[in-house]
Amino acid sequence: MKFLIVEDEIELQLSIANYLKRDAHVCELASDYLEASQKLEIYEYDIVILDLNLVNGSGLDLLKVLKKKEKKAGVIIISANSSLDDKLEGLDLGADDYLTKPFHLAELNSRIKAILRRGKYGGNDSITFNEIRLDTLSRTAYVNGKSIALTRKEYDLLLFFITNQSRILSKNIIAEHLWGDDSDMLDSFDFVYVHVNNLRKKLTKVGAKYLQTAYGTGYRFMED
Amino acid sequence: MKGQQKTPLLKRASKTFLLSSAVIMIVSAIALYFYTRYLLTDEIEEELFSDKDRIERLLIDDPELKGIPPIMMVERVNSAENEQLLDTLIYDPLQDEIELFRQLSGTKEINGRQYRVTVRAMVIESENILFAILFTFLTIIFLAFVFLFYLNRSRNEQLWRPFFINLEKLKGFSLQSGQPLEFEESNILEFDELNREMKILTQRVRADYGNLKQFTEDVSHEMQTPLAIMQAKIETLINDQDLSHKQFEELSSLQNDIQRLKQLNKRLNLLAKIENHQFAAVETIGLNQILKESVATLQELTNVDITQNIQAEVRLKMDKYLASVLFNNLLSNAVKHNKKNEAIEVRLTKDHFQILNSGDAALRHPERIFERFYKESNKVDSTGLGLSIVKKICDYYDLVPTYYFKEGKHLFEINFWRN
Repeated sequence: MKFLIVEDEIELQLSIANYLKRDAHVCELASDYLEASQKLEIYEYDIVILDLNLVNGSGLDLLKVLKKKEKKAGVIIISANSSLDDKLEGLDLGADDYLTKPFHLAELNSRIKAILRRGKYGGNDSITFNEIRLDTLSRTAYVNGKSIALTRKEYDLLLFFITNQSRILSKNIIAEHLWGDDSDMLDSFDFVYVHVNNLRKKLTKVGAKYLQTAYGTGYRFMED
Repeated sequence: MKGQQKTPLLKRASKTFLLSSAVIMIVSAIALYFYTRYLLTDEIEEELFSDKDRIERLLIDDPELKGIPPIMMVERVNSAENEQLLDTLIYDPLQDEIELFRQLSGTKEINGRQYRVTVRAMVIESENILFAILFTFLTIIFLAFVFLFYLNRSRNEQLWRPFFINLEKLKGFSLQSGQPLEFEESNILEFDELNREMKILTQRVRADYGNLKQFTEDVSHEMQTPLAIMQAKIETLINDQDLSHKQFEELSSLQNDIQRLKQLNKRLNLLAKIENHQFAAVETIGLNQILKESVATLQELTNVDITQNIQAEVRLKMDKYLASVLFNNLLSNAVKHNKKNEAIEVRLTKDHFQILNSGDAALRHPERIFERFYKESNKVDSTGLGLSIVKKICDYYDLVPTYYFKEGKHLFEINFWRN
């Protein structure tokens, strides 16, 4: 898959590219409006990660051009502006998702995967990791073709782990993914622990031992 | 002047006027009474002396003179007597009354014989005059005061009118509204100066407030990108490097701090947005559903039981997002400060929403509970903005939040209808 990262903060741009490249995606970079519009003009991308405040133009204008030319690229907006109006405007213009800065790279990655899964970008509704298969439409997990009973949170957790496989995820990242803005309401880390443990037990029972503890308090989903 | 009762300006002016005029009236009436009485008495006595003198001279020419009783009388006596001035009561057959007279009597030796001459004057006449004068004086001065009082009052009202109008305008002054304060023009120099100063002051206050708000918004906005970079770098570090457990813990804790900054930012932004009136309530929403959702979300994040006691369907004109923020903040506040293993209760009736959690003692400063960053204890990790957001949302929709401590329970109540 080919991504374009339009972000004027070089540090952030590189970090994002670095994280996404681990899944063997090709990441191209654009640091300002002109560079981005040139690249969008010439090449085709599967996903465009778009910052709204660019040095010499607005990301929203790029989005308009993109949609006018009927490019099939999926667009995910990353913006420092958390106002609902901006969010709605971006989504109205045809963006597929909107992420407010600061965000976790794992979260960005899982959102990108979600966009790719949607039919029109040539993905499909199921995700496979060895003997585990997730049906994202019915939200069910299968191990060796047999469905396993997971709670809503456990399913979300498994999907998040598989999309961010072989990366280390701290409790903070997981909590924010599972509860979003509500994750700070209470001590959600204890509940991350409970859910991860339950999921691990259920997977281990059917022989899928991929969920590892990393550095004592983090988690990683990978083959031994 | 703390604690002293405040009187309205015009009332105070009227009171001063009334008091001072009453004092003037009483003092001048007393002075007038005594002075006039002195004058009248003096006049009578002078007349008595001159009458007596005239009779004595007539007596030299005519020793048989008898006088006109009871006004003037001449009698022969054996020995000389001292001159005497006194009051006496005499029957007046004409009016069939006993009247008070002033009497002067004394003896005079004429041709070797002693004569007693007595002259009298009726006092009643002079007293009548005295009272007539006093009455006239008091009537005139009273009428004058009444007239002056009303004139003064209406004049004062007229004079202070711009002041009162501007005072009302100042009371309605709001930092948030961009409406400039238009003061009532006045041709009184001091009022004009006051207006000018007030105008400058309010403009400055507004500008400062605007700058401060802009600053908060800018800071919280500009902070997002560096935070995003920090967060991304931590994730890169965790995934690209071989770390020790200790290093991973440190990095995780950094992630938590970034998360806290992010939440702080989000809440400050929310407060700013409410202050900027960026939430217009266009639809009437059902609170029951929102409350249920909030409780369900929270129940996922706590082992504390939340009992719901919902007695009515409540519909309010309110932004849906703000309503759920309101419930979330109150609920998470209750869970955070709850005693272990005791249930939290939420009640919803047609008049109010209540949330109760157990606690050991009432708050030390319940009046400060809704202030920004006010915390009673350090034990719970929080931004210190949750309840001030609750207050802000309530203010925005004219709701009244109150806190009580009753029977070992902290109770927050939101009344839906202002009394």
